[in-house]
Amino acid sequence: MKKTVSIAFASMLFISILSGCGYKNVNPGDVSGYDNGETYISMWVHTIEDTPEGQAYKKSVEQFNKKFDGTYFADLEFIPRNDSGGGYSDKINASVMSGDLPDVITVDGPNVAAYAANGIIQPLAELTETERSVYLDSILEQGTYNDKLYALGAMESSVGLYYNKAILREAGISVPDAENPWTWSEFTEILEKLKPVMSEKNGYPLDMTFPVGEASIYYYAPFIWSNGGDLISADGLNADNVFNSQENTETMQYFRSLVDNKYMSQAPVEKLFESGRAAFKFDGAWEVNTIYESYPDIELGVAPYVVSNNWNGERYTPTGSWAYAATSKTQNIDAATELVKWMSGTDSGVLLFENTKSMPSTYAAYDQITLFEEDENYKALYEQLRDYGHPRPKTPVYPQVSTSFQQALESVALSGKDAQKQLDKSVERINAKLERYTRK
Amino acid sequence: MKSKKSNSLMGMAFFGPALLLLTLFLFLPMILTLIFSFTDYFALSPDLTHFVGLENFSKIFKDELFSSAFWNTVKFVLIIVPAQSLGALGLALLINKVTICKKYFKVAFFIPVVMSLAVVSNLWMQIYSPEGILNTMLSHIGIDAQPFIYSSNQALPSIAIMSVWQGVGYQMIIFLGGLQAINPALYEAAEMDHASEWQKFKDITLPELKPLCVFVFITVTIGAFRMIVQPMIMTGGGPSHSTYTLVYDIYETGTVNWEIGLASAMAIVFTIFVVILTIIQTVTTKDKEGKYANKKTKNS
Repeated sequence: MKKTVSIAFASMLFISILSGCGYKNVNPGDVSGYDNGETYISMWVHTIEDTPEGQAYKKSVEQFNKKFDGTYFADLEFIPRNDSGGGYSDKINASVMSGDLPDVITVDGPNVAAYAANGIIQPLAELTETERSVYLDSILEQGTYNDKLYALGAMESSVGLYYNKAILREAGISVPDAENPWTWSEFTEILEKLKPVMSEKNGYPLDMTFPVGEASIYYYAPFIWSNGGDLISADGLNADNVFNSQENTETMQYFRSLVDNKYMSQAPVEKLFESGRAAFKFDGAWEVNTIYESYPDIELGVAPYVVSNNWNGERYTPTGSWAYAATSKTQNIDAATELVKWMSGTDSGVLLFENTKSMPSTYAAYDQITLFEEDENYKALYEQLRDYGHPRPKTPVYPQVSTSFQQALESVALSGKDAQKQLDKSVERINAKLERYTRK
Repeated sequence: MKSKKSNSLMGMAFFGPALLLLTLFLFLPMILTLIFSFTDYFALSPDLTHFVGLENFSKIFKDELFSSAFWNTVKFVLIIVPAQSLGALGLALLINKVTICKKYFKVAFFIPVVMSLAVVSNLWMQIYSPEGILNTMLSHIGIDAQPFIYSSNQALPSIAIMSVWQGVGYQMIIFLGGLQAINPALYEAAEMDHASEWQKFKDITLPELKPLCVFVFITVTIGAFRMIVQPMIMTGGGPSHSTYTLVYDIYETGTVNWEIGLASAMAIVFTIFVVILTIIQTVTTKDKEGKYANKKTKNS
């Protein structure tokens, strides 16, 4: 039967050759800028060229080639992707099979574990302590799997608990500092107090949804972590008694109480916060720029992320974004690492921020960008990321953990189903996907 | 003899490129899917593929999510097939009667068909939104705002209705073509016999449209079974998996969770099911067609 399988692969390979994506052998002179004596490094990024993001990558690569002229030459290829990351990951999957991967690829943070566990990417060449120390802790944490550093972030990200200053002033509510965030019970009291105020404005205290896709786990896993829970065991290979722990049941019930008490709308209402009809909203760091540019009437503030009553001051806030990693195909790991370091470095980070307003991955970049000092909202987001950032679960079956979390959250919070039962069901599903890794 | 040979060469020359492409992009993938369905092929580590026999299939039949996806798909089919087939027939009959602005109506009902499903889905998300046009209209006649696609009870029918709206124009055009091909002499003869409108419809229009009905019925059924884009964009299969369909499950398993082997097995099960259903449909409708043909010869 092995033979049939290999025939199948042979024919797949045949197809891929026919369709023109066979292995490319690039010689000096084939690509402009690639000269004799240089080491050729191919690289894929997850965007098209004609976006501000694509332009930033292009410029960074040009700077790299200039700096390492005569030693390395990086060749950048843009791979389009859709919102949910399809397209790009399909291309990676197909190339894994045909042995067609470039030397360096971009990986979304939560996928580092899956790619590492399946040998698609390899550990980077050893970084010195000084080299490591330029990166935010959350970046190093995200890129590490089984104690080895695989990836370095092109950028970081964060989620803010945004509030409408005018509304909170009107209700006489003051916002605590980052060391003393509101606890769940305090937050509930505030929401209760705001309910009559907001219903007068034909709105809700909270603009909150549990959307399908990556957003749900990204925004709301902090509630799990700050309650002492987790989504997967430390080795990333078991969900039982972790995903369905007593703590997580409580967390799910807290979300249910938000819906039950009508602190938020059960069906998502468009632009609730932006139109001044909600006091609070959870959203990505990009929301700051959106409000500044498109809704200047909203007086925006960033409150510290809410914590459970059992919080002990540990890291818990959202982090994670696209990172660079060297594939297992690359022959020259030192060259690939050099490129990864450059692309995730301070200059590239500043460039990317200028083009897209995405948060950089190195301390020095934050020091260079005055906005993170001058603007209180950007500053608050940066400090939250720096001091409290927590990576998403590191497990090879991350996609299943992410969808299971969203589905459990939706079933419990919106449809009022039994929390323990939903979480148990998720565990079954996650552990079924883990079999592949645990039986080895 | 010689001309026969050159004819066949000529035929191959025309047919060859199409056959090559079909082989590459249809037959080979089909065969590969069949082979993969017996393996644990995982997209991220293709080297570690083993032959696992029927394990994937036994997994599928034990999988709660797959069976709920199956029943959701059946529900979609049960709403969409009658609504879309009858709706198309009704619209075709009406437009056939209309004398003014006929072209306008034809185009108006056909436009959704040529629009991209993604665009239509986004449009209907606006229509169904809590403060959308539909809820605004409902509030004018004193009905409370409905959650529509945000409730696990209403999401499936809401999406089904939208799909009918989107697809009905295509079958309408087919029926319209059929109606116009009916020999007017038949109606004239019926009028001589003082047949009522209903009798004319029942004894002339319907029998004449029968072959088209079979075609429409089967294509709409297969189309409804393949439902994925609308739930993917509008609800993500939710709330609580209430709009999660078979094809969606195959997609999620294969591309999001990288389990090509399992997804291939699902696709095989799905294909077998649709083939069986189509055979049943063809056999049952053929029987009636045969009877009708007999009757026709007797009458003449």
